[in-house]
Amino acid sequence: MLLDLAQNTLDGLGAGASYALLALGFTLVFGVLRRANLSYGPAIMLGAYAATWTSLHYPAGLLALAAITVGGSVLAGLYVERLCFAPHRDAPGPGQGRRGSAIAAMVASFAVWMQFEEAVTLAMPRHLYAFPPLTAAPPLTFGPLALRVEALVTLAVAVLVGAGLWWALYRARFGIAVRAVIERPAAAALAGIDVSRVSVRVFALASAIGGVAGFLIAATHGQVTPHLGMWTTLKGLLAMMIGGIGSLPGAVAGAVLLGVLEAQSQWYLGPQFRDLAAYLLLFALLVLRPRGLLPARHAA
Amino acid sequence: MGALLEVRDLVTAYGAIEALRGVSLEVAEGSITCLLGPNGAGKTTLMFSIAGVLTPRRGSIRLSGEDITGRGPASVVARGIALVPENRLVFPGMTVRENLYAGAYQRGDRDGIEADIDRMFGRFPPLRERAGQEAGTLSGGEQQMLAVARALMSRPKLLLMDEPSLGLAPLVVEEIFRIVGELHRDGVSIFLVEQNAHMALKVAHHFYLIEQGRVTFSGNPGSLAEDEVIRRAYLGAAPR
Repeated sequence: MLLDLAQNTLDGLGAGASYALLALGFTLVFGVLRRANLSYGPAIMLGAYAATWTSLHYPAGLLALAAITVGGSVLAGLYVERLCFAPHRDAPGPGQGRRGSAIAAMVASFAVWMQFEEAVTLAMPRHLYAFPPLTAAPPLTFGPLALRVEALVTLAVAVLVGAGLWWALYRARFGIAVRAVIERPAAAALAGIDVSRVSVRVFALASAIGGVAGFLIAATHGQVTPHLGMWTTLKGLLAMMIGGIGSLPGAVAGAVLLGVLEAQSQWYLGPQFRDLAAYLLLFALLVLRPRGLLPARHAA
Repeated sequence: MGALLEVRDLVTAYGAIEALRGVSLEVAEGSITCLLGPNGAGKTTLMFSIAGVLTPRRGSIRLSGEDITGRGPASVVARGIALVPENRLVFPGMTVRENLYAGAYQRGDRDGIEADIDRMFGRFPPLRERAGQEAGTLSGGEQQMLAVARALMSRPKLLLMDEPSLGLAPLVVEEIFRIVGELHRDGVSIFLVEQNAHMALKVAHHFYLIEQGRVTFSGNPGSLAEDEVIRRAYLGAAPR
């Protein structure tokens, strides 16, 4: 009984680690632009499809496929930024400045999502393609508990990426600019920080982190489908909302909680209750703690 | 004395509404120049236009003779103009030290930046005590000091200050104006927007009155028209 609980938690941590990567990318873009990017997941899917296509036509190693997934996600992400977000940026000025349309940006990102889905289904029409698995190694066992190697790799990568991101934001010059833009874009511009350049770089960084997650997810499941786009957007958005919109520690906490809860509910209630439990958690949090588990302190 | 800043026939508009309707003025090298005017006259719009945040529709802005009209704020900062914005706008979740780093964002000289931060701490002792503290926890006066120090970190030739005394207690206002005087003695030219006309005219060498997007009066403090200017700065011109 207790053993099941522990085993599920272990399984959930692996999934939670990939959700954490997704949520970090989502949160970064939200923090800098104050916009939800619905095309976040679909851009990652495009990267994963580029890697899948490569693996079908060329003998490519896992690292090469990871690089293609990340590179493809970044390119698709920059396309989304240009098309959906650059035209609707807030412009600083007296008072609140000129506000860009958040709705127009979100709707545009939805349109590009559809565009990406259509593009991949036209180029690769089968519903499901095999993705080279991360490893053929059997799960590691710790006494009665088992841990999939994929989960361990995902956890390790998530910790590394998280630490790297923390360093970049809190110890590097780039981080000063990013946090200044997140907190007060007008003041950042007045300090000589190029706000739109910082936004584009953050977009690229977020897409890269999402791409890493996308590769790990595809290689763990050993397959890609066009649903990967919606799936990654949903997981990233859910984890971000549970953790507290705009908060990076919240994104990680929300993601881990989401992963563990999914694993537990799948085991105890059955797979059909897995997503239901996740949405119930979100519902409960929105009622009881609307700003999430670890809310961002200075969100505008 | 040559003009450090020269604004000619500047028109800046929000959509169809012209907030500046042909503003011309000069800031002399090494001077404190003050811009007075009632709310909505276009003072902040002028500051944001000079700082490159707003793009003027017509007219020109020159710094030491170089045309900087329509350049972005990053480029304007690089050329030596820094704006201390109205309401201070410090980065509340960043430490005092990080706020200063942000002000020096365009500079590459690490050692120079550290030395300048040390100089800021010497000039504004409360900031040294709170170097590692988040700026959002500072008092209004301390935040104003931080906003000034952040602007100075870019080593500007011209410091623009938009309502530095806004919302501060009288003693703190005295302190802020003492700092303005000190900066001037250190050779920084200052262009100051102030609601507090009495205080501003005490330190200024030259002033302009702006009403409804136009410069309507300019002169030196102590001239006969001072009382009339102060009245109009507070109340606006009689009927619109």
